[in-house]
Amino acid sequence: MKPQLKKLKVLLVFPLLLVLAGCWDQVGLDRQVFVIGIGLDKSEEKGKIEVTYLIANPEVGTKQSGGAATNEPSGMTVTLTVSDFISMRNIANSVVAREISYDLLRVIFVSEELAKEEEFIRFLYTAEKDREIKRDVKLVVTKEKVQEFFKKNKPKFLSRPHKYYEFMINRGVETGITPNAELHHFFRITEEDANLFLAIYATNEITKDEKFRMNEMDSLAGGLKVKGNTNTAQFLGAAVFHEGKMIGTLTGMENRIVMLLNETFTVSDILTEIPDPFNEEYQITVRLMKNKDTRVTTELKAKPPRIDVTLPLTMDVLTDPGMENPVENKKKVEKLRKAMEKYMEEAAMEVVRKSQEEFKAEPFGWSLYARKEFKTLKEYMDFDWTKTYPDMKVNLDVELRFGKFGRQPKTPGYKGIRD
Amino acid sequence: MKQTEGKIGIREFMAIIMLSVGTKLTDDTPMILFGTAKNSAWISMVLIALLTIVPIFFLFKVFSVHKGKDLHEVNIHLFGKVLGNILSFGMLLFGFAALVLDSATYVDIISTMYFTKTPNIAIYIVLLIVCGYGAKKGIEQIGSTAWLTLFYLKVTLFIALAVAFTKGNLKFLFPLLGPGSWEIVKTAGSKMSILADFYFIGIIAPMVKSVKDFKKGTLLSFIIVGCEITISLIIYVALFDFTSIEVISYPFHEVILYISFGFINNVESVFLPFWLVAAFIRFSFYMYLVLVLFGGIFKINKHQYLIPVLVTLVIFLGIAPKSATYTLPYLRELLLTTLSPFFFALPIVMWLIAKVRGDFKHEASAEKT
Repeated sequence: MKPQLKKLKVLLVFPLLLVLAGCWDQVGLDRQVFVIGIGLDKSEEKGKIEVTYLIANPEVGTKQSGGAATNEPSGMTVTLTVSDFISMRNIANSVVAREISYDLLRVIFVSEELAKEEEFIRFLYTAEKDREIKRDVKLVVTKEKVQEFFKKNKPKFLSRPHKYYEFMINRGVETGITPNAELHHFFRITEEDANLFLAIYATNEITKDEKFRMNEMDSLAGGLKVKGNTNTAQFLGAAVFHEGKMIGTLTGMENRIVMLLNETFTVSDILTEIPDPFNEEYQITVRLMKNKDTRVTTELKAKPPRIDVTLPLTMDVLTDPGMENPVENKKKVEKLRKAMEKYMEEAAMEVVRKSQEEFKAEPFGWSLYARKEFKTLKEYMDFDWTKTYPDMKVNLDVELRFGKFGRQPKTPGYKGIRD
Repeated sequence: MKQTEGKIGIREFMAIIMLSVGTKLTDDTPMILFGTAKNSAWISMVLIALLTIVPIFFLFKVFSVHKGKDLHEVNIHLFGKVLGNILSFGMLLFGFAALVLDSATYVDIISTMYFTKTPNIAIYIVLLIVCGYGAKKGIEQIGSTAWLTLFYLKVTLFIALAVAFTKGNLKFLFPLLGPGSWEIVKTAGSKMSILADFYFIGIIAPMVKSVKDFKKGTLLSFIIVGCEITISLIIYVALFDFTSIEVISYPFHEVILYISFGFINNVESVFLPFWLVAAFIRFSFYMYLVLVLFGGIFKINKHQYLIPVLVTLVIFLGIAPKSATYTLPYLRELLLTTLSPFFFALPIVMWLIAKVRGDFKHEASAEKT
């Protein structure tokens, strides 16, 4: 026999592998239903939770069924009181005909009520046990019960639920109004026990809040004043977790500041409003970009320990409501820069203060910089970052560089036109 | 017909080592290191690699005066018939234990991470029949298969680790000394037999074309494998941090479950077949080593007829431990710790005896004439 033929024969053995999949673990696609989201609600019984499945109908919107012309709904929800969401897979079969698969699971929803319980992590850690639940599943906290949230949520245009949640969450992360809340980070941060984990905050329960805000993003989901006939669900802001338990919230703007300061997050598209230094009644819209890493130095031996943070940002000034034409005048540019740096430093320090006083832990990931100062884990543990952080002195410095001034940098003077 | 007549070149030889030792980073070996050395496991790995240079060096010395002999023949020559056979038999036991435990670990990985409903024994039977067939085909075929697939296997591994690296954060490596320098050294010392394969490859030494190729191939693949495992340990820590890494059983599989390429989410199904091919080659090679050694000790020339017996034996021993989840890591750790001192000391002892017997002088005079 030729050696080539022999090689071929050895390679031919590998298809034997297919036998494996064919025998026991093979399940036809048409014999499964795909759970897109799992909702967790508090149950009256101790040791039990109410689990809600959000199941997508794979046939809606596909070519075979001729676009959206089917009469079947795009998804359904099933709620049951169970011990965990693994046993739920069988129990739910009493109402769902096909085998339940978590392969396409993207989001886990938790009601605020349950997230604030000490018990919550007991239920969430189930996710680490099931092999079909990936560590990149997103975590969303809803203000109301998740069942209510699902009931009221009627996305416009995106009737297929998996697309809706995927886009909603990804866009929120890009713009920085909601955090990138992967289960992976939740487990890592909770186990490390030094920092805060931020989950996406969402609701369908609109509060009648007529308070004026300079920036609408500075509110929580449900508080955004929005009119028109769009979907009522709002994804805005963050739920703050410490040691696996929800302890507070951050508004959309505060969340952006955290995401800018924390180097593990990337935000690509930030448009925000900042008071116009030339005319206090108006606001300038700027685009912020983070091209360089945040510089953090820690002085842990000092009393109190000190953290110096420098945040380098590039800023595009996109509007000029004062019609002051700062581009042409060096002094005006300098004034603009100073005013903006000051405004942003104050806003950021406000979040730092909130974390120190209200949460008593930090979401910025600064403990990672401090780790370098220690030789062994024991020394680091003995230092006890969580305990020392609330008393630390934080110096924050924003370094602004101007990028573009819109498509057309110059505008005619206001007075010139009014004349 | 003797199966071992053919010889393999340096690239096939290197491919075999890189696949059989390199795949260790994908099973539970990292977990054994992380268990005690935590986030500094990579330093332990560097130490292990440095320590391993010593036995490899002495092994080279011994083999350079005993050209054309395999490890068993060298043992007989150096220690005499009785002691040499006992020693080789001890090696056989260790090798066989490693084969059983490692394959059982692989079956556990496949059944917990991928085929959850398939009975273990079915996976085991398919895995070992394939590997038994590979071992029957002999070292030439294993070598060329390894060389053929090496590129694809390493490229997929590289992609998986590179994507994981971009998601990780190198700051997790700090504090640099983790559980303290003593713990790191202790881990390195007791687990150094992770690279004990480099001792066992002495069994196929005469099957490599020349002693020079054997040395060069061993050294090169040793460097590559050492770097590979160290870098992967760093990436695991950068992704999971020191607390999570302790509770994760199979970091590599956790990595490929976690990563995604843009909109393609379930990428583990891409990596699994490649990983399986590497596993087939690894166990074909292990089985072949065990066979050759067994054949050498008991003077059985047609050792391919032993394969069915060996396969059956491995399967029954492998599925014997009840509740594999906690027995296997324990047994594997025990094996590694017991093997470590032997792995370190044996080549030195061999060299010393060769020195006392005057083998080196003999060679020097032989070269002169």
